[in-house]
Amino acid sequence: MNALVLSELTVRAGTRLLLDRVTLSLEPGEILALVGPNGAGKTTLLRAALGLVRITSGDVRLQGKSLTELTPRERARELGWLPQEPLRAEPVPALEAVTAARYRFTETAANARKAALGCLERVGMADRADQPLAELSGGERQRVAMAALLAQEARVLLLDEPANHLDPALQAETYALLGALLDAGTSVLCVTHDVNLLAHVRAVPRIAGLKAGVLVATTRYDAADLPATLEMLFGVPMQALEARGRRLIAPLPGALGQGEK
Amino acid sequence: MSSRVPVVILASVALLMAALLVGVPLEGARGDFILWELRVPRVIVGALVGGTLALVGACFQTLFQNPLATESTVGTTAGSTLGALAALAIDVPAFGSFPALFAASFAGALLASLVVFLVAASGRARIGDVLLAGIAVSVATGALSMGLQYIADSRALVAAARWSLGQLPQVGYTGVAVLLPILLPVWVGLLLLTRALQTFSFGDELAHARGVNVMRLRVLVLGLGSLAVAGTVAWCGPIAFVGLLVPHLVRLAAGPQLGRLLPLSLIGGAGFLVACDAVARSLVPGRELPVGVVTATLGAPGLILLLVRSGKNRGG
Repeated sequence: MNALVLSELTVRAGTRLLLDRVTLSLEPGEILALVGPNGAGKTTLLRAALGLVRITSGDVRLQGKSLTELTPRERARELGWLPQEPLRAEPVPALEAVTAARYRFTETAANARKAALGCLERVGMADRADQPLAELSGGERQRVAMAALLAQEARVLLLDEPANHLDPALQAETYALLGALLDAGTSVLCVTHDVNLLAHVRAVPRIAGLKAGVLVATTRYDAADLPATLEMLFGVPMQALEARGRRLIAPLPGALGQGEK
Repeated sequence: MSSRVPVVILASVALLMAALLVGVPLEGARGDFILWELRVPRVIVGALVGGTLALVGACFQTLFQNPLATESTVGTTAGSTLGALAALAIDVPAFGSFPALFAASFAGALLASLVVFLVAASGRARIGDVLLAGIAVSVATGALSMGLQYIADSRALVAAARWSLGQLPQVGYTGVAVLLPILLPVWVGLLLLTRALQTFSFGDELAHARGVNVMRLRVLVLGLGSLAVAGTVAWCGPIAFVGLLVPHLVRLAAGPQLGRLLPLSLIGGAGFLVACDAVARSLVPGRELPVGVVTATLGAPGLILLLVRSGKNRGG
């Protein structure tokens, strides 16, 4: 059974059409990268799947069940979310911020804390567990947010640019962590601007291109047409390069607006 | 940090005990009467009310995600006061019976909370808007209260004026019997919401994603808070600043985690209000000041001091 299915999802805000009949699905252990220009509706799509924005028409199904049939806790078992905005710089310790994500579990405080500490360890932040969020750097807070997402143990992860605020090494580590989650059967729907990071996961990602609220392209990470698809989406010339046996897709510097529209 | 938890508890207990000794010396049978019939019940009522106000304040600060949002700043106290004053003004016998006063008070509190809730729930309202709505509700109800006092007859007017300063009533255990059945369930209810509130404190949308029923949480906290505030207002009148100051003090002493902040606010609020009342009883020899006068006079500069200090710490 599909872990997540969006069918004919349409979201309107007043007269603006934010999402126009978007249909996509995600199987267990599968990763789908959502790419597209700013304002294309990528974040709205994640928020609609969570029930945070009103769905004008269409349907969100989790393990075959409609979003509206699930209690909040049941939904939290299916869907986890890493928002685009980082955790606020609050005086609360990192461990507390991760423990809060265990809300859906019925367990003792000690158990919740233990699980949360394990998640901080997975993102390499166990030694900062007692540090207030306000004393952490933006990248460290991003890793705490990632640990919180792990702590929720949801079946489908909705990630909004998980590599935000991270240096190249940590970006790679984050995607390697996603790879490990995929291998364990978790599904991932990931908004990203840098498709090259997808090289760090073992499964071959599917890629969905969103433009002005419409799903205009679907391809795969290893497909030959990926540069052309990105060029079409962003309107910037894209080049695939080979270096040390690996492929890198990058926009050509200084060639703004010359891509095929 | 956690080592400061016992300090808050001990300080509060010490204040409660010390308050029993403030006043005329306790000697003989008269001393027994003063202790058991006057001071003990008064300290208990003070502790119930102070603890409640501080707990509700801490919960409201979390719910509105703003350190300034407490029952007195989002309009709950003002609405409650207006309700009670309306009951006092209409009811000619000087002090309306408690059930009527409480019902009117609760209606007022709910109405004020509802207005603020609707603003908060109307899509993308910012927290500043919610506080502004609270201030608007407070100003409007304040004006209506004055209007009511203007048209009320003189006996009701005196009663209303005394009552609206906030004071702990005099004799016996009636206050305990009346308040406990209202306040105890509210404490249990709010403390049971600690985990939901803690998850909520990282943002309402994130809380939604993590399985918190955000709408239900808002309704429960505002409803329970209104109930508790209405109970205290109906019995003692509006008492300002406890809900604002005490959670800040507790946060400074024991950290921001709600698992500690909520129970310690309950305990610390009890000690704080009882201590303020002891000051109110002994400041002017032979006369008692309303405790509301003392909490506001101590609370306002205390809060400003806290803000300046914490501002310095933040600014480095």
